[in-house]
Amino acid sequence: MNEHLVLTIALPLLGAFLLPIIMRSSLAMGVWIGPVILGYGCWILANLWLHGNEQPFSIAIGGFAPPLGINLYVDAMALLFAFATQLLGLIFWPFRLDQDTPKRQALMLLLVASSTGLALSGDLFNLYVFYELVAVSTFGLIAASSSSAAYVATIRYLILSGIGSVLTLFGIALIYAQTGTLNLAHLAQLAPDQLNNDLGLAAFLAILIGIGVKAELFPVNTWVPEVYATAASRLSAFLAGLVSKLSMLIILRLLLLIFHQPEATQVILILGILGVISGEFAAWRAKDMRRMLAFSSIGQLGVIFIAVALPDERGVLAVLALSLHHMLIKSGLFMLADHWGGSLERLRGIATTSPLAAGLFVLFALSLVGMPPLPGFWAKFTLITELAGQTDPLYMIGLLVFLLATVIEASYLFRVAAKMYQTKPTDIVRSNSPDSGSLSLTTASLFGAGLIAATVMVSPLGDGLQAIAVQAQDVDLYIQTVLQQPLGEGQ
Amino acid sequence: MIPGFTLELILYSTALGLVSIGLAGLVLSHHLFRIVLALVIAEAGANLMLVLAGYRWDAVAPILTTLGEQPQMVDPVPQAMVLTAIVIGVGIQALAVSILIRIRQRYHTLDRNEVAELMDAEIAATAGTARDVSQEAPLGERPIPPITDDAVQVRGGRS
Repeated sequence: MNEHLVLTIALPLLGAFLLPIIMRSSLAMGVWIGPVILGYGCWILANLWLHGNEQPFSIAIGGFAPPLGINLYVDAMALLFAFATQLLGLIFWPFRLDQDTPKRQALMLLLVASSTGLALSGDLFNLYVFYELVAVSTFGLIAASSSSAAYVATIRYLILSGIGSVLTLFGIALIYAQTGTLNLAHLAQLAPDQLNNDLGLAAFLAILIGIGVKAELFPVNTWVPEVYATAASRLSAFLAGLVSKLSMLIILRLLLLIFHQPEATQVILILGILGVISGEFAAWRAKDMRRMLAFSSIGQLGVIFIAVALPDERGVLAVLALSLHHMLIKSGLFMLADHWGGSLERLRGIATTSPLAAGLFVLFALSLVGMPPLPGFWAKFTLITELAGQTDPLYMIGLLVFLLATVIEASYLFRVAAKMYQTKPTDIVRSNSPDSGSLSLTTASLFGAGLIAATVMVSPLGDGLQAIAVQAQDVDLYIQTVLQQPLGEGQ
Repeated sequence: MIPGFTLELILYSTALGLVSIGLAGLVLSHHLFRIVLALVIAEAGANLMLVLAGYRWDAVAPILTTLGEQPQMVDPVPQAMVLTAIVIGVGIQALAVSILIRIRQRYHTLDRNEVAELMDAEIAATAGTARDVSQEAPLGERPIPPITDDAVQVRGGRS
């Protein structure tokens, strides 16, 4: 049963390869392939989640035991993110029919497959390959919206991402030159002796900046506003909600397993603080909804980076809670942006014409700011208590900046909300097309319902995340699980 | 050869140098095609670094030619990885060039700043907002716009 997990990566890859061929002969059959594959993936992962014995396990690909072969490492955290990937892939499935449908759907399958790979892979070079696959499919999907601005946004993103992959590759080469292995468990075993030095730090920084491109890390996040403003909203929601979190997950894993230098967490903390400041101020100045959301996403990811820099499992818990919360909220908000589109001025008085959408916006805004009963409060509360418990003054700066950011966030979100509830509508807002408008509103309602469900079940959710965090933090368990496995169990 | 300069040292510094040249080109170039070329150079440096990571100077290529006693072999893993990295790199470069062709067709320029300005204008037009003031162009003809006669009157006239 456990080995079926490989299918969640393999089937979408196969589907992406076959889809354009099948669609050429039979469009009616072709449009079902993607949703069916992703639905099956969700089913496999949900089954593992419900019937698994909560012990992490490792799958040796091709029957070669690690560290020689490549393995997938499956613990609760990886499973959670893999499930989120497949589910969001299904929710944001690009089913709109036109001449580019086969290409777009094939690229989306590729994106979901490689994102799942990012969540599950236990090998550094394998991670790099999946990371590049994510990049290539993202470029294709952004450019698929075919506006000139989208092409420019794609090329600028491509160049930045190219710098990132060069740096990542360089970091990987440094690590390999030093240790002679790329298996994460083996590296975790060797790291205290061989990577706890300047060379290890240099390798980590190179990989951090490289992977940070997609995690919207401070100096390498200039692509974010352009891409989110020009790409299709559903793609922006997927990128902001999921892909950035997966990159964050890799950085967190590397930090937990391999790089224990205090300088590494300090750099992450500083870059996170700078990201929060720059993102929130830019969002405050933004005049259209999508750019506001893009900048606010940079700020939120900065907050998560601050949480990544926290030392023990409470820090991991804060990262998980903030990530999942942001995933829900930002996906919902991007769907609302799709429903309305355009400048914030056009939202004046919108509450009279579409009360549900305005209500959802207020709900998301309240949770993002951290209003007590909503899950956003608990996520932020975990982070604040953790930050306040640290002795290093840098964490205090982080705490102050975080509180300041919350104020700014509340200011720009409620400015928009106030605009919506003004009584005199100056202009009737039309969504891009009646069809896509109602669909995106339905999707946004789905995320709103998810948020309310999370509010009701906040205590069991918290316990669950705590267990996941403790497991993710256990380096010995990781090494044991991967390396003590008898040869050929994967068959 | 100059003593102290081993082949290994020269190769390592070549790898670092290629990455530095590439990064410098990325920052300094204004033409988008040159930026893509700079990326190619930087990638070559990273690939060379990866090859060097597993290379042994006293060994042969890792190909089994005879059974039984084997001579010392070069580590094959980085070479396999470099092949993968090169393939990925070429794919991305091809994609980049094809997108550059599209941009050139739409905007008739490949200058980095001009293209970015045009993109900003288009995003603002799509969203229906007034666009931000350009970072490149000054507000007026001069950094500090000259005081006009109207402004002089408003401020109470010339003494």
